[in-house]
Amino acid sequence: MADKAQRSPVIEVGDGAAIPRLSDVGLFTAWRVAFFGAIAAVAYLAVTRPDPYFRILTFVPDGILVTFKVTVGAILLALVLGLFTGLGRLAKNPVINGVASLYVEVIRGIPLLVQIFYIYYALGRIVHIPDIYSAVIAMAVCYGAYMGEIFRAGIQSIPKGQMEAARSLGMTHTQAMSHIIIPQAVKVVLPPIGNEFIALLKDSSLVSILAVSDLLRRGREFASESFTYFETYTVVALIYLVITLFFSKLIGLMEERVGVDKRAS
Amino acid sequence: MNRSRVVAIAIVLAALCVATAAPDPAIAGAARQVTVATDATWPPMEMVDANKKIVGFDVDYLTAVAKESGFTVTFKNTAWDGIFAGLAAGRYDMIASSVTITDERRKQYDFSDPYINVGQILVVPKTETGKTLAALKGKRAGAQIGTTGAMEIKKTDGVELKTYDEIGLAFEDMAAGRIAGVVCDEPTAAHYALQRKEYKEKFKIVGETFTQESYGFVVKKGNAELVDLLNKGIKAAKAKGIDEQLRKKWLR
Repeated sequence: MADKAQRSPVIEVGDGAAIPRLSDVGLFTAWRVAFFGAIAAVAYLAVTRPDPYFRILTFVPDGILVTFKVTVGAILLALVLGLFTGLGRLAKNPVINGVASLYVEVIRGIPLLVQIFYIYYALGRIVHIPDIYSAVIAMAVCYGAYMGEIFRAGIQSIPKGQMEAARSLGMTHTQAMSHIIIPQAVKVVLPPIGNEFIALLKDSSLVSILAVSDLLRRGREFASESFTYFETYTVVALIYLVITLFFSKLIGLMEERVGVDKRAS
Repeated sequence: MNRSRVVAIAIVLAALCVATAAPDPAIAGAARQVTVATDATWPPMEMVDANKKIVGFDVDYLTAVAKESGFTVTFKNTAWDGIFAGLAAGRYDMIASSVTITDERRKQYDFSDPYINVGQILVVPKTETGKTLAALKGKRAGAQIGTTGAMEIKKTDGVELKTYDEIGLAFEDMAAGRIAGVVCDEPTAAHYALQRKEYKEKFKIVGETFTQESYGFVVKKGNAELVDLLNKGIKAAKAKGIDEQLRKKWLR
């Protein structure tokens, strides 16, 4: 028990988003090749075949902005939702615990695409919310459940002794949670949250089904009128690749800065 | 007659049937099988009915045309976005999906003769006072992605285009108040705004059709043989008054 407490534990999340660690030399090199290769490919195509490649590049930028807006909005909302869900899942109060657990179970059991359709059109029936906010809410409701599980696991990973020590110093449960447990848990949950961010960035392409003009939607609009399907989706895929690689690198660097423990290192 | 003799005779007969039947289509070549892509989300031209069958004006009409020309058709429900790409990739032989003949499309694909004339029309909520697309300035209007309706909205200054995968989703979004108008082909507009009971109270069709378009069947560039077959059938169907009958059946 005691020596386990020496090292803060690491949560493994296996959803496939690769965040390069400085220690993983192979992945780091692959990152460079993919990142600069994708940029070079886009630039080369735009210069050598401006029609249609350059036209595609001038058509989609506002879509990239929408993709960012949806991703950032959804991740912020999902973090808040996730923190409360995680705490709710650990709560002794059976009502709070039940609601939080039900939320997680229901959301995890429904495909994201179905949820997005459902929330968007269900919201439309009840209240008038502009499409982009509906899309953000739909994404956040889904990712909030996964975030909740990450927060729950993160909080549970903090040794019991920490809570006991805090309580014996006279802190209330809430005080101990907010001053002792959560600050430690944040360090633990940072890597999986980084993963979720990348996953959400990629999944944000699903909102194109709601006629939200994100990067993929703009690409589809271009392709369906010019019939340049191959060329358009090549560019769209490369842009997504550059964006996700950029952020995975950024998150990797951030984690190094914060000093997240890594089992590998 | 004992049992084994009956069985033996049955087997011989069956074998004969197979032997004589099999080469038939190959010799005649007439029962040519043509695979047809259609986006069955465009009532009343093509839609999926309660029995999950693809039905509609285009389906009945093309089936009649095929009968006149001596080939058979199988329909394949395909999403509109990418329906042309599938044709280019050879996933089916032709498209019968309310496709307007346009110059851009003609550059990439071959069309049959036109078989029906339609036009774009605007559908708005009952509360909207604007009567034309231009009157929706500063607002957003929806259409199905890659359709002539979407192109019309795009051409209109000051009106933001929102594209949907299916026209039904555009109408639902208008019911939710997210867009101020929907542009689509007149028959489809009539179906949603006049016949659907959940929309009848909410929407109205304004003005007249503001484009003149014709639907044609689409084949891969250079497939002259199929175009000839289709044109022959279209002519024969017209001579028999089949298109008039179907118009009455599906378009009131």
